[in-house]
Amino acid sequence: MGEFKVHRVRFFNYIPSGIRCVAYNNQSNRLAVSRTDGTVEIYNLSANYFQEKFFPGHESRATEALCWAKGQRLFSAGLNGEIIEYDLQALNIKYAVDAFGGPIWSMAVSPHGSQLLVGCEDGSVKLFQITPDKIQFERNFDRQKSRILSLSWHPSGTHVAAGSIDYISVFDVKSGSAVHKMLVDRQYMGVSKRKCIIWGVAFLSDGTVISVDSAGKVQFWDSATGTLVKNHLIANADVQSIAVSDQEDSFVVGTAEGTVFHFQLVSVTSNSSEKQWVRTKPFQHHTHDVRAVAHSPTALISGGTDTHLVIRPLMEKVEVKNYDAALRKITFPHRRLISCSKKRQLLLFQFTHHLELWRLGSTVATGKNGDTLPLSRDADHLLHLKTKGPENIICSCISPCGSWIAYSTTSRFFLYRLNYEHDNISLQRVSKMPAFLRSALQILFSEDSAKLFVASNQGSLHVIRLLEGSFKHLHTFQPQSGTVESMCLLAVSPDGNWLASSGTSAGVHVYNIKHLKLHCTVPSYNFPVTALAIAPNTNNLVIAHSDQQVFEYSIPDKQYTEWSRTIQKQGCYQEAYRPCL
Amino acid sequence: MVQLRPRASRIPASAMVEEGQPPSEEEEEAEHGLLLGQPSSGAAAEPLEEEDEEGDDEFDDEAPEELTFASAQAEAREEERRVRESVRRDKTLLKEKRKRREELFIEQKKRKLLPDNILEKLTTAGPTNIKKPPGKLKEANLQKKKEEYEKGSDSQNAKERVQKVQFVGQNKSYVALRLKDQDLRDARQQAAKAFIQNSLYGPGTNRTTINKFLSLENKRLPVKKAAAQFLNNAWGTQKKQNAKRFKRRWMVRKMKTSKK
Repeated sequence: MGEFKVHRVRFFNYIPSGIRCVAYNNQSNRLAVSRTDGTVEIYNLSANYFQEKFFPGHESRATEALCWAKGQRLFSAGLNGEIIEYDLQALNIKYAVDAFGGPIWSMAVSPHGSQLLVGCEDGSVKLFQITPDKIQFERNFDRQKSRILSLSWHPSGTHVAAGSIDYISVFDVKSGSAVHKMLVDRQYMGVSKRKCIIWGVAFLSDGTVISVDSAGKVQFWDSATGTLVKNHLIANADVQSIAVSDQEDSFVVGTAEGTVFHFQLVSVTSNSSEKQWVRTKPFQHHTHDVRAVAHSPTALISGGTDTHLVIRPLMEKVEVKNYDAALRKITFPHRRLISCSKKRQLLLFQFTHHLELWRLGSTVATGKNGDTLPLSRDADHLLHLKTKGPENIICSCISPCGSWIAYSTTSRFFLYRLNYEHDNISLQRVSKMPAFLRSALQILFSEDSAKLFVASNQGSLHVIRLLEGSFKHLHTFQPQSGTVESMCLLAVSPDGNWLASSGTSAGVHVYNIKHLKLHCTVPSYNFPVTALAIAPNTNNLVIAHSDQQVFEYSIPDKQYTEWSRTIQKQGCYQEAYRPCL
Repeated sequence: MVQLRPRASRIPASAMVEEGQPPSEEEEEAEHGLLLGQPSSGAAAEPLEEEDEEGDDEFDDEAPEELTFASAQAEAREEERRVRESVRRDKTLLKEKRKRREELFIEQKKRKLLPDNILEKLTTAGPTNIKKPPGKLKEANLQKKKEEYEKGSDSQNAKERVQKVQFVGQNKSYVALRLKDQDLRDARQQAAKAFIQNSLYGPGTNRTTINKFLSLENKRLPVKKAAAQFLNNAWGTQKKQNAKRFKRRWMVRKMKTSKK
């Protein structure tokens, strides 16, 4: 196989951001997750929990609520007072509508999917109509005294429960007036000076309102009479989130201690028809606050400040007991954050607002197989490059020779030239980058560092020739038929002839760079591509999919290789259940 | 000794004042309030008495004057006319004022648009000799800028220059925001963030820092040990930076002087 020196890199201080909201879409089995830095990620739960798409964050966009509307439309609202719709095809923000109520704390879509309710800082609940291309303000409900922190629609769409500070109001949607106002005790059987914050409400079809608050209580209210039916004290700290299943026979709550409780509707005695809500299972998969939970038909999904996304399939709901029924904890990023320059042994780390360039340590010692060699020169932090503006960095890359660094944000594209003199490094920015390069999903340099390939979020692929200190736009491959399904990945062959790009529903396209035209397309597979690479000598394209299948395709022959065909017939032994990246 | 206030009675005013004076010489400031009360009550009492007296006189001595209907009517009409005149005068004055104000505003608006003219010129290509009417800019839907008011002075010179500039395209690549509105928005957002920070991590929540949590054992031992993270390396970063810079400069200076 050869002799390799393995560098153990422990200086990448990557700190992921905590999960703030989670929204599950039943029709497409997709999960939208929003984080505290403003990023919104979409996970495809049926494709082995792979992160398909993501929307880069922005400093001012701290989302507080996320929901799916009819027709696969995703809306979010945050403390900057705006309701944002995301374009899932073009992977950018469609528009932002200011609700004029101050910071928005909660948002809920009506059961029919055509109306949107928003709870604001000034105590007003605003109703919006969802039109095919935009949302339109309809009217305000009665204004309440304190901020509306949680909202929930009745499944019939006639009533709405809104949780505020120290009370819950039930509104009638037609008239907009508050029908009931239920006062919540500040402490379970006690007196407290701290106000009771109702973090979550849920409205069931039989008129029961379930509320979770900061005193650690889960309370059941009857909305017809406005009275308290049952009180459960489940934690010493806040209970911060609640999600009810579609069949309304179970719900899940998340607490600030990291525990997730599962409540189920069970009959009082076997044979009796009377049912009651019982706390069945506690799960401790988190170490910090669980700020968002969701309930899919077969699993409980939770996420919080400890940045892990935990998906716990419920044993009684899962039909086939295989790897799918195991606990999933999505901890590591599903995107490429590190790029490497082989010639100069440099690593480029991508953070949300800055880039770091490190040189690997070197050693002069030799040893046997498996020895740990002492470093003669430590890893060196060469460059700390901060980005201007509030937007997050989407992607970045360093050229194999180490002289070019490129990164992209939503509105701009940056290209830098690096000069190495002895031990010093100097940076020079290439100005006047063209506008069509912004919002790039993936950047890649060719092996000889003479060309730059940029995949934009519209689906087109740009080829740029790099000259000394400047650039020249060579060609743009327009998007082929098929929409952008998932994250675009690029791979370039070491001899510089071929470029492979994935991400459309049509399959993996292979382009001939010398003649600047499409060479062939690998047939599409029903799982998204997670990794692409082109082998050096044989020019075989290796594709890894999210269901742990690996294909090898020969580019010159335009067909699958023999090895790939035999593997598909026999079946590859699946070792890990994590997607290979 | 407490001086009681004399009751308000129908005594002639002069007599009242005489009474008030001697006690004021004797007593001290404690009585000041009461004494103050006296003369004023006396003074208050005076007009009352006088009025009563006058009214009494009138009622007693004279009969009311006789006025003819015609004269009274004429007087009333005069009054009305005078009032009407004054109202009309007031109205016309106000109208004038308003007119002048409107004109001033229109003038200011015209002046305001010209600076945008200049900005447009600056951001687009270099000047050529094609005239464009400044009226086109009125269709631009920019919000007001605070600084615009101060630019009125140099608009006059710019007027002639601007006439000869070509405007490349009408797409405005910038948006002007009123700073006053932005401040209000930011303040509300800050308040919201402070609320959530306080409710999750503020006083009353049962949360501590990791250092405190892990060090609790050490502090309760019979032989007290140091905290888990004893050093706070983030303390005084600015001071340390300044010290480092000063040391570098001092070294350089030392080198220079030692060389000489």
